[in-house]
Amino acid sequence: MSSMFSPLAIPASAGIGLRSPHIAEMLTRRPSAGWLEVHAENYMGDGAGVEALERLRQIYPLSVHGVGLSLGSAQGLDRGHLERLRMVCERFQPDLVSEHLAWSVADGAYLNDLLPLRYDEEALAIVARNVETVQETLNRQVLIENLSAYVAFADSSMSEAEFLAELVVRTGCGLLLDVNNVQVSAHNLQYDAKAFIDALPAEAIGEIHLAGHATNHVGADTVLIDDHGSRVPPVVWALYQHAVDRFGPRPTLIEWDTDVPILDVLLGEAMWADMLTASIMFNRKQAMRREQTTKTRATPILSVQSGTTTGMPVLAAFAAARCAKPCMSAALVSIEEEYHAAA
Amino acid sequence: MLPLEYLQTTMARSVLAMEQVVAANMLTAGKADPLARLRIYQNNTRSSLTAALMAVFPVTVRLVDERFFRFAASEFIRRHPPVESRLARYGAGFPRFLKTIDTLSDMPIVAETARLEWAIAEALDTASLPSRSLAEYDNTDLGLSPDIQLQPSLRLIVSHWSILSVWMAHQQEKAVDENITWARRPERVALWRSGNYVRLFLLDRASFAFWHSLKHGFGLEHATGRALALDPAFDLVSALVRLFRDRLVTDVRVASNFPSN
Repeated sequence: MSSMFSPLAIPASAGIGLRSPHIAEMLTRRPSAGWLEVHAENYMGDGAGVEALERLRQIYPLSVHGVGLSLGSAQGLDRGHLERLRMVCERFQPDLVSEHLAWSVADGAYLNDLLPLRYDEEALAIVARNVETVQETLNRQVLIENLSAYVAFADSSMSEAEFLAELVVRTGCGLLLDVNNVQVSAHNLQYDAKAFIDALPAEAIGEIHLAGHATNHVGADTVLIDDHGSRVPPVVWALYQHAVDRFGPRPTLIEWDTDVPILDVLLGEAMWADMLTASIMFNRKQAMRREQTTKTRATPILSVQSGTTTGMPVLAAFAAARCAKPCMSAALVSIEEEYHAAA
Repeated sequence: MLPLEYLQTTMARSVLAMEQVVAANMLTAGKADPLARLRIYQNNTRSSLTAALMAVFPVTVRLVDERFFRFAASEFIRRHPPVESRLARYGAGFPRFLKTIDTLSDMPIVAETARLEWAIAEALDTASLPSRSLAEYDNTDLGLSPDIQLQPSLRLIVSHWSILSVWMAHQQEKAVDENITWARRPERVALWRSGNYVRLFLLDRASFAFWHSLKHGFGLEHATGRALALDPAFDLVSALVRLFRDRLVTDVRVASNFPSN
């Protein structure tokens, strides 16, 4: 079983969360999707979905995303569940494995929701121990995802971002930055979303999640609900742009869990993420080029920058057109002058 | 400050609404009321687990109507929350729980149909092994009483009520007549996974005993004896051909030690 797949590396581009209504279409159409992510718990049995994922794994790079390990449980990890996660990883050989900075098991009950931790030294020691156990069991690094939250604990002694940064130092884990979660938590708990992103160690970010959220009005309270049930909203795209500006391109996932639309909608969102990233990187290169041109203007030597063969998707093309506009009008004027002269 | 384990236990009980024990001053939520925000977790837990149960028991939902099902599911979740995070395993105790609800005491078919739906859910989450053909054993000496291995997803259910008829009636889009009276008539149902679907069949008493014995590893001789005891006209050849034709046989071995019970 373990040697049935060739390694497929997840690229620093957009992928989609694989949801059961799309499996048949993915198998027959095999659309261009950078990579796939699945919830580990959906593939711990032996149903038809498992067989389908084995076929898809031959074609697409895969990420396994756990939602039930409860890394923040003070009572420790469920060893049975960890063993099942190990079996899933052995079976599908994913390129990335991730879980949440949260707890969902206490008092013998699984709550099927991700609850926040009290961010303090006691919780940090518990989560660090649990993450180390997971990484030793899976014999690999795991990425830990920031949480969407509706409450925080009054006695927390550090922020979630500080907690995550320290967790990286103690365990060597990577981070999964869920940009929608940042927006949801920052709004609900009233902190600065960009400052949260800026406080994370850039080199640890191994993946980014994007999703939609709902806005609920309860009395005077406007609360954002992390329901993964709509397109990525503009505010999350803006925050994603900030993250890409800071960290550079990363594997980016479009998550959609409720009211799942047709597959093409997910693929469209993924394409948009790719275009936005390419546009940001293109602008960055243009800015560097302009800077270089300014520096070298004194000397009449033409410099050809190597490594500029990046494809230019639509957004990047718009950006390029905007930058190139003054030069283009200058060229047109000169042609017109030549025409009149000939007449 | 509370130890983390105690804090999580307290919060878990609040989320499951067993008791509202989280004090407001333990939590913050910007300018909002933290206890009102805590209700979001209560709603998330209840609604997501209810949705999981509704996905497993769609016919039961239609039998009792959705509002009653949600009420019953909510009580079940409060009293019997999941003990692990594989939701595919959540709901095994729901049919038995339905039997304890007074309102359903004159509708035993509801819990019985739920039992059938749980068996379907289990089968869908079980491996489907490659099946064997009779021709593969043409040159094999299997002894006097070979042990026939059947698909691991095979589930056998006997009920005093016509559960398969109920289930079949609710597979169509059109509404089922609410005044229909489901008969108290024993039905023996065999079901197993075939790709993305489950195949379901009614069996007679002898065939049910035959399949049941094979499934539990008692071997062909014992299975045949049980079937013949119930029906002297039991046709072993036809029964074997059917097992192979339905792709239920995954292996045939020379019998060794059968289970003692």
